[in-house]
Amino acid sequence: MKTVRVWFSKTGVAKYISHLDLTRCMSRALKLSKLPVWYTEGFNPHIYMTFAMPLSLGVEGLRECMDIRLTEDMELSAAARQLAEHLPKDISVLEITEPVLSFDATAFAEYELCFDSKDPQALADVLDEILSLDSIIVMKHSKKGDKEFDIKPHFALLDKQIEPVLLRVKLQSSCSQEGSVNPSLLLEAVKQYKGLEPYAEITRIKLLAKDFSDMR
Amino acid sequence: MKMYPKEVEKILQKVQKPGRYVGGETHSVVKNKDEVDVRFAFCFPDIYEIGMSHLGIKILYGAMNQVPYFWCERVFAPWVDMEQEMLKRNIPLYALESGSPVKDFDFIGFTLQYELSYTNILNMLKLSGIPLRSKDRPDLFNIVVAGGPCACNPEPLADFFDIFFLGDGEEVDIEVMELYRQCKKTGASKDEFLMRAAQIEGVYVPSLYDVEYNQDGTVKSCIPKEGAPAKVCKRNVNNMDSAYFPETFPVPLIEVIHDRVSVEVLRGCIRGCRFCQAGFLYRPFREKSIETIDRQCQALCASTGYDEISLSSLSTSDYSSLNELLDYLHRWTETEKVSLSLPSLRVDNFSPELMERVNSVRKSGLTFAPEAGSQRMRDVINKNVTEEELLRTVNVAFTEGWTRIKLYFMIGLPTETIDDVLAILDLGKKVVDAFYANKEKPRGKPVEVSLSAAAFVPKPFTPFQWFGQDTMELLHEKQYELKTNNPSRRVSVSYHGAETSFLEAVFARGDRRLCAVLEKAVEQGFHFDSWDECFDFNRWMELFKLCGLDPVFYANRTRGFDEIFPWDHLDYGVRKEFLIEECKRAYEGLTTPNCLEKCSNCGAACYKGGICIENR
Repeated sequence: MKTVRVWFSKTGVAKYISHLDLTRCMSRALKLSKLPVWYTEGFNPHIYMTFAMPLSLGVEGLRECMDIRLTEDMELSAAARQLAEHLPKDISVLEITEPVLSFDATAFAEYELCFDSKDPQALADVLDEILSLDSIIVMKHSKKGDKEFDIKPHFALLDKQIEPVLLRVKLQSSCSQEGSVNPSLLLEAVKQYKGLEPYAEITRIKLLAKDFSDMR
Repeated sequence: MKMYPKEVEKILQKVQKPGRYVGGETHSVVKNKDEVDVRFAFCFPDIYEIGMSHLGIKILYGAMNQVPYFWCERVFAPWVDMEQEMLKRNIPLYALESGSPVKDFDFIGFTLQYELSYTNILNMLKLSGIPLRSKDRPDLFNIVVAGGPCACNPEPLADFFDIFFLGDGEEVDIEVMELYRQCKKTGASKDEFLMRAAQIEGVYVPSLYDVEYNQDGTVKSCIPKEGAPAKVCKRNVNNMDSAYFPETFPVPLIEVIHDRVSVEVLRGCIRGCRFCQAGFLYRPFREKSIETIDRQCQALCASTGYDEISLSSLSTSDYSSLNELLDYLHRWTETEKVSLSLPSLRVDNFSPELMERVNSVRKSGLTFAPEAGSQRMRDVINKNVTEEELLRTVNVAFTEGWTRIKLYFMIGLPTETIDDVLAILDLGKKVVDAFYANKEKPRGKPVEVSLSAAAFVPKPFTPFQWFGQDTMELLHEKQYELKTNNPSRRVSVSYHGAETSFLEAVFARGDRRLCAVLEKAVEQGFHFDSWDECFDFNRWMELFKLCGLDPVFYANRTRGFDEIFPWDHLDYGVRKEFLIEECKRAYEGLTTPNCLEKCSNCGAACYKGGICIENR
């Protein structure tokens, strides 16, 4: 038995599939692919699957990963092709590799936020202003209720690009099993501090390890 | 691949479960709209998760899309949050496959599953920007049609629809679309199209019938015109093996209510329970062969990747060779790790052998429907199940390790007394006692018996179609008795609102005058009446008052056998004389044998199919 890592993208309409629904989707595709996947033992056997970091609903992912186990040796590129055939249109298999790092090595993620804006320069200035504060307190909504949360230590701005009616922002944020910070909280901060409600499409570009190297 | 309108993207971030509104499912059918002749928007008047669980939509979707020049797409009712966002931005209702507005479609088709979805139907037309009333749509375009069980009395919707399909839809839908295609080519008018459509068996064009009323509000006459038939006969598909059944269907990306493969094993029901409309509408009882079912199960599993199959029908345990069928399926389901489930089990043919063959029922408790508490009452409704059978069955279940039993009942049945109602509780107590007396019961787990009591709604085409529903006061009283006399801590009692049942009863046996109420309801923003959070009984009562109609006339009035019903010009094979006979037998407490035991000459033999012509 061998654990392998499936790298995939989740874009287009697939960004509206929740994490739980993604596992169902994957399980159907794995079943159809006839790959020699390992089933958990027990009363209700199901395909063993474990994901690095769940992606928030509405966020696209360009390089996500999950681990499965194969009970027979096989060419990983062939396995990738086989699985790719049975996934929904907007979920694509990039490759299947042997895992190098364990999932708990995940520490950060790189995101792109693409803002719709008539005045992208002004919006960029607003973001700069907020990110230069010593602390950025936002209300974090959760099932247990709302609570105040400082997102400042969790964000690092990497890059900004201003286009005609568009502002592209690249940033890093905490993304680990201890806690992740959704970049939509930055939008929440813009709303709370400036009363603006910009619309942004959010894409998770990749997952990073503690030393900021790509997850492998 | 995003097909939905661009403006939708921004509101998807604001609503619950955006996956409902984006399409893009595997096996959803995308064609080029310029290359098809007829576009059909199949509208399910409830949310995505409910609509996508419905087998009928999958059959008809497949049947239409099989024809290269037809394109059928799906539309579901947006939940209230999405509806609000769409209204705010003037985004009209759109179909999931193409993202095109519903108002661009040749046909807008609805399935009539339950009366409380009527406001959703009209609301979906409103959200599409399509005029509600048929007469306000003069062109041969936007033809609004419907089928499904409630089409047996579609009169409360008669002014809005151009066509109703009665009976099995898989053939007649296609024929009507074909006729439309011809009429389009020759430049025929809508009236011409409807006149010709009315000649097709199973097609009811309500505008071709003039209804007159008596002074007392009952129907005086229903006169056909323009050559429309005096009696519209339902369509019947006799051979279930050759009937169209899809080999695949769009696999939802988000979890839906019935998230599994569903294969119909038979149509109709042999039982003749007197309260059950489906039992009469879908006669005769017709089975698929084991080989057909096996082939369809394999095809669907192979195309969808699901690992659970539901063998569905009105009463799957009545399939004549059920054990052979399950064994036949087990040749491959076990190795492929596919589990089988039966949606409806009867008390009188539950066995350990059967339970061994269906694995998935273990996941939760077992559910049975004795429907009434006393034997007298069960005889009245012709639910031929005895207390001994129920206790034998629960004992088998306890021995096999189950501890949770759910029992479904109805209250407000004809001839019911308070003693009959209290007998529900006695039965629950007897099940608890049976558990403690059972020596092989599972150790360490207490028994849980839940009793659920729904209020009975009299329906057209049943022996109880003459019966005046219990008043809400009486139903409340009966519910109170149930609640306060619960004999055991191991028994829990629940019931549904008498108010929704009352409203259902109004529309189930309503006439065309109710169209005005529905129109007003939609004007005032009514929708999702089957959802507690949206249902407002008092506002409904105000509407009736506003329209000068008395809902009690429809729900609580006991009719005479000589009354002309609003649905009397529709023919489902079962004769009215037979229903009268059955009604009289009910009041005498006499049961009627099922179709397998003996033919009772109901009239369904006119279709010359299924059990009516087979050897018993």
